[in-house]
Amino acid sequence: MTEKILLDSTIFWAFAGLSVLAALGVVFHRSIIYAALMLIIVFLSIAGIFVLNNADFLAIAQTVVYAVGLTIILIFGVMFTGDRSFQDGTVSRGHYVLFGIITVLTLGVLLRGSIFPYEITKTPEYLVAVLQTQGSTALLGQALFSRFVLPFELASILLLVAMIGSIVIAKKRFPAEDELLGKTRYDINTTSVLNPEAEQEFDEQFKRLVEESKPRKMRNTGADDISDEEGESSEMVGAK
Amino acid sequence: MFEVGLTHYIVLATLLFAIGMYGVIASRNVIRVLMSAELMLNAVNINFVAMNNYIRPDDMAGQVFAIFILTVSAAEAAVGLAIVIALFRSRNTVDMEKFNLLKW
Repeated sequence: MTEKILLDSTIFWAFAGLSVLAALGVVFHRSIIYAALMLIIVFLSIAGIFVLNNADFLAIAQTVVYAVGLTIILIFGVMFTGDRSFQDGTVSRGHYVLFGIITVLTLGVLLRGSIFPYEITKTPEYLVAVLQTQGSTALLGQALFSRFVLPFELASILLLVAMIGSIVIAKKRFPAEDELLGKTRYDINTTSVLNPEAEQEFDEQFKRLVEESKPRKMRNTGADDISDEEGESSEMVGAK
Repeated sequence: MFEVGLTHYIVLATLLFAIGMYGVIASRNVIRVLMSAELMLNAVNINFVAMNNYIRPDDMAGQVFAIFILTVSAAEAAVGLAIVIALFRSRNTVDMEKFNLLKW
């Protein structure tokens, strides 16, 4: 029994120390790529903590969803927004002393609340047998598909909505749309959106510009368009 | 003395939550803010799983909640990164200090 306790506590302290150190690295390391890699270490050590708490399925889900999937998405995000001059620069904003004080106060309140008397429920004998032979995955599945089946289905709808929404938000807009938006942003005092005539004019102009900026294979015109596009691309390179 | 109890897990979750909170409010890079938000969500997951194991071992509600948190945080990361990419297109930076269009 004492050997089991010793083993448990050793594994706990190893994973706890690793996760806290790596979390500090996520927040304070200067390079954003190293921060993303340290996030993987945090996720994996939290998966270890889950295993210590009889949550086998959650440990695997944590590894697959967080440590692999989410971190890859984050690194994709880092590469899409390749602002190298900024990424290796300042980590923290100017008022970091104020933010530190706020964090320490919150930490104090939370620590004060996290030490409370509790009663450990003895795990029933049949459950100990199940956990030792099969793990908790079957029990979790039964709970998920009986008592929590409605939130489970709602979660699938949420994932669908989030997928469609993120595609729409991150979609590349037509150049004409950008041009028009930029123009209205600067002419905001002269273009009244409430004026129906101006609105109609805006719509017509927008349709024309969208028609002009469609890819080459979608329209049937010749050489002068190519030079237009070359001009655009060189402008974009210059802007970057 | 060596025995690890529920309090250990809750204190660990509190530390991770505080580190994540500092990252959310103090980081200048938007993507680092997203990472810190994930840290906070993971800290909450530790609480759910540990309390499920120690207080209600015959009931899987804590682990089910952890699964829902995992789902919602995956959706949040996808939408958040889409917003970051849209912001990068319009402002050409990921610096939090430059996103001040609504500031007066």
